[in-house]
Amino acid sequence: MHRRHFLQLSLAVAASASLTGCFKKPPLRTGVHPWIGYETLYLANEFDWLPANVQLVKGQSSRDSLNGMLAGELDAAALTLDEALRLQAGGMPVRAVAVADVSVGADVVMARPEINNLSDLAGRSIAVELSSVSGVMLFAMLEEAGLRSDQVSVIDLPANQHLEAWNQGKIDASVCYQPVASRLAQAGAVALFDSSEIPDTIFDLLVVTRKAEEQQPEAVAALVKAHFRGLQHLVRNRHDAVYRIATRHDVPPESVRQAMATVMLPEVSANRRYLAPGGRVETIARRLGKILAREGLIQRMPDLENLPSRDYLPEDFS
Amino acid sequence: MKAGRCLQRLAISLLSLTLTLGAAGVQAQTQSQEDAIVLSVLAYRPQSAMQQQYRPLTEYLSDRTGLRFRLVVQDQESMSRAIAANQVDFFLTNPSHFLLIRSERSLTGVLATLLRDWHGQTTGSIGGVIITRADRADINRLEDLKNATIAAPGTHFLGGYQAPALELESAGVKVRRSSKVIYLGNHDRVIRAVVSGDTDVGFIRTGVLEDRLVDNPDLAEILKVINPQDLRGYPFQVSTRLYPEWPLVALPHVDSRVVRRVASALYALEPGDPAARAAGLAGFAPPADYQSVEDLARALRVAPYDQSPRVTWLDVLNQYRGWVLTVGILLALLVFTTVWLGRQRRQLAQEERRQRELIAGWPQPMLMLDGSELVDCNRAAVDLLRYTSEASFLGKGLAAFSQSIQPDGEIASQKLDALLRRVQLGDMVTTEWVYLRSDNSEVWVDMTLAPVYVHGFDTPAVLCSWYDITRRKEAEERMRLAVRVFENAREAIFITDSHGVVIDVNDAYQQITGRDRQECIGSLPPMPIDEGSAILIAARKHGVWTGEFRSRSREGRRLILNLTLSSVFDEHKDLTHFVGVFSDITRLKESEKKLRTMAHYDALTGLPNRVLFAERLHQSMAQARRHGYQLGVIYIDLDEFKPVNDAFGHDAGDELLIEMGRRMRTVLREEDTLARLGGDEFAAIAVNVDGDEALEALLDRLLAVVVEPVWVADHSVAVSVSVGYTLYPQLEELDADQLLRQADQAMYQAKREGRNRYCGFSENLS
Repeated sequence: MHRRHFLQLSLAVAASASLTGCFKKPPLRTGVHPWIGYETLYLANEFDWLPANVQLVKGQSSRDSLNGMLAGELDAAALTLDEALRLQAGGMPVRAVAVADVSVGADVVMARPEINNLSDLAGRSIAVELSSVSGVMLFAMLEEAGLRSDQVSVIDLPANQHLEAWNQGKIDASVCYQPVASRLAQAGAVALFDSSEIPDTIFDLLVVTRKAEEQQPEAVAALVKAHFRGLQHLVRNRHDAVYRIATRHDVPPESVRQAMATVMLPEVSANRRYLAPGGRVETIARRLGKILAREGLIQRMPDLENLPSRDYLPEDFS
Repeated sequence: MKAGRCLQRLAISLLSLTLTLGAAGVQAQTQSQEDAIVLSVLAYRPQSAMQQQYRPLTEYLSDRTGLRFRLVVQDQESMSRAIAANQVDFFLTNPSHFLLIRSERSLTGVLATLLRDWHGQTTGSIGGVIITRADRADINRLEDLKNATIAAPGTHFLGGYQAPALELESAGVKVRRSSKVIYLGNHDRVIRAVVSGDTDVGFIRTGVLEDRLVDNPDLAEILKVINPQDLRGYPFQVSTRLYPEWPLVALPHVDSRVVRRVASALYALEPGDPAARAAGLAGFAPPADYQSVEDLARALRVAPYDQSPRVTWLDVLNQYRGWVLTVGILLALLVFTTVWLGRQRRQLAQEERRQRELIAGWPQPMLMLDGSELVDCNRAAVDLLRYTSEASFLGKGLAAFSQSIQPDGEIASQKLDALLRRVQLGDMVTTEWVYLRSDNSEVWVDMTLAPVYVHGFDTPAVLCSWYDITRRKEAEERMRLAVRVFENAREAIFITDSHGVVIDVNDAYQQITGRDRQECIGSLPPMPIDEGSAILIAARKHGVWTGEFRSRSREGRRLILNLTLSSVFDEHKDLTHFVGVFSDITRLKESEKKLRTMAHYDALTGLPNRVLFAERLHQSMAQARRHGYQLGVIYIDLDEFKPVNDAFGHDAGDELLIEMGRRMRTVLREEDTLARLGGDEFAAIAVNVDGDEALEALLDRLLAVVVEPVWVADHSVAVSVSVGYTLYPQLEELDADQLLRQADQAMYQAKREGRNRYCGFSENLS
């Protein structure tokens, strides 16, 4: 090889390396809120497993994340499938890059003890945060009960206000999740229905904007990887994780163990199946889209093509 | 297994009991020992305390299962040994130790995981506690543990080593590589070591500290916990993340029915049971997932995971595809570059070596100068100046070997400096130079000095090459000499072609022959006319011809020339030229003749002198003897010469002597000799004389011609002669002198008898 050519070549290699190395991008701002399925990210944060290009923005509820996404303040967020659909329908193209958990009882309907079956709900006032996954839960439950939404009194209320409304006697039932459910139970509510009765329907996802995906795919991959690392600790080091989660939520460890029983935490291979084209996520998204559109919660049927993506799943995670 | 084997053993034992009464006691004891199901518990605390804590549990198991249990409290090593020897049936140890044992032999797995109780709070989790003295203000965080001395029960303790070690690793403190960890065997010793200040910090498992506080509440003031974790609902202080509690493990040889019974008894143990309370237990839970402990051991690379995980190349390739590719490309480039550079360097070195060898072996002397100092030279240069090695050259200047005054008169060192200055400015110079060899002989060279630019040096090095022109110089010298000889020789020199035609002549030639060069060239050289070509042939044949001959000059002057003609051959032995050298020997010949005359003849009378007379007498005597005839030797003396000389002068005397000589000559025959011996004395040889009478007749005629008057000096003078004679041969052998003396004596006799007469020699005269 001619010397000069050789030098040019090695310079090119050095330049390409230094470019990727030096060019500083803003971190991937990721909205997250307390939820057993997203504890993985908190654990990752606690153990310093998040790389510098991922920044957690801790909110109180999924609403914070949703608003942050809509305001363009977040690049990624922990959201339920229906929330992702709302974003998509609202003109913010997003991508579901991981399934953090599948609710198998985590979402519950708490009701006054005298309400024994679903049909008893007719004519009752039900508190629900419509803009959240609880809306899905409500409609799924009504479908199960054979009721139409106009047969019940739907009170759109953020979950953290349910206990207060319950204590004031304003509501007969609440579509909620932990820890609100436990607190309602302490206040005398009983579980009437939970998500284990509608399996593989309520997905908690990691969602990124298309823009963020385009601009910093490596940060997206890092986020997903950190989630799985946290998941690994959660599953394998359950003895440790339980106490840490209990501490963060200020509940006894036993409650954490119970809460963990209400979600399925799919590993990488399960994620691969869920996020496959034509897989469970896409199927459910289509069905949810129809319900949401029918109930007027979204203006139009969102574009579901390529909503889920398997591209960021780590290839070798044991 | 146990039941069957035990029965069998029992039977054998009973049999042996009946047979050997003497050994019965011992046998029975052994038997009861072997019969019991052995539960081994790790002595993580002091032996006695452990025995107290766990004996109720053993009793509880014996009670619930109907089998006899025996408690053995052992440290890790003895437990491992006992397990290896199948002396243990169940064991309870910490998870790290369990992993080690599991790796050494296959186990059916964990039967149950211990649940610990602390004042009503139950936990199945264990962690590590890092303690130090409360007054150690310098140790507050994990990072402060760098270089601290650490007490730990042992490496295969989960809370007492591995869990804290991992936390420290995460904080950047490498515990494993540090030699500052002291292993003390159990947790109580660790606490003592920290309290006493023997070590800076200690690692213990969770629960131990709280347990010790019950006996010794002061410890709470003395010790503090580093990196405390705020874990809600966890009953103990902890510094690390949590792992599952101790496993209770059944060994494979234990009968499955026994295992089932033991398991059911364990799960049935209630928190309030005295057995549980004594051991500080809340009971046993179904086996926990010990994966996290495995991961921990892997991360720390402690046994049984002290070997690096087997990672296949494919795994690495998958995980680091980008990096592998990049590194691979860079590596390939590096290898390529290295190989390429290596080859270049090799080639360069090879070229350099070849060049060096070429220069070193080049027949023409070459030298390298740095500034004015010699730094390199080849063999030829050393040889030319007749030195033995190049070491004689290096470090010196050229002037050291030069003839200090060069032939053009300049001083060598000054001239050299000027030359080198020019070369360093980029010129190439060539000059003739004279060096001195080691033996002081001169060497002429054509010296070329050329600049050689070396990368990285401002001033060029100087390459110096010599071309030996000594022989050329010598040839030139010889030629110049030859030309001088040719031009200045007094001898005539000519050069002809192979046919004898002149092509060059010198000045002497022109002088001798009287012809100028133009005339000479193209003509034949002077040679004896009759044998000209014969001379050439002789010269060609013998290489040289020498001879004298007569010739004539251009003006017709007679010459005698002495010629040496040499033939010149070329390298093929073909004749190319003749070279002739001749000299004019005409004068030489003339003087030679004159000299010869002067030696043998009397200058006055022209008659032979005494020398020639003696010669002739010898010849005549020899002839007389040979031919057998007689000869007469006659001595003649003028009688009145002196008065004539006195009266008329020497010229008149001379005239008289000439006239007398002439007259006497006329009397003698042609073959006879008349010589003047000197003064007024003459002598004669008369050959072939026939006796005294014939000779006396001749002498009578002689006396007669002499007395005739002579006209000298305008005067008429009459003189006479006295003559003595003798004959040869005589009776005795005589020589010429004796003969002449006899004649002389006879002449004196004649003088005595009255002059103007002759007298013959006879014996009586003497």
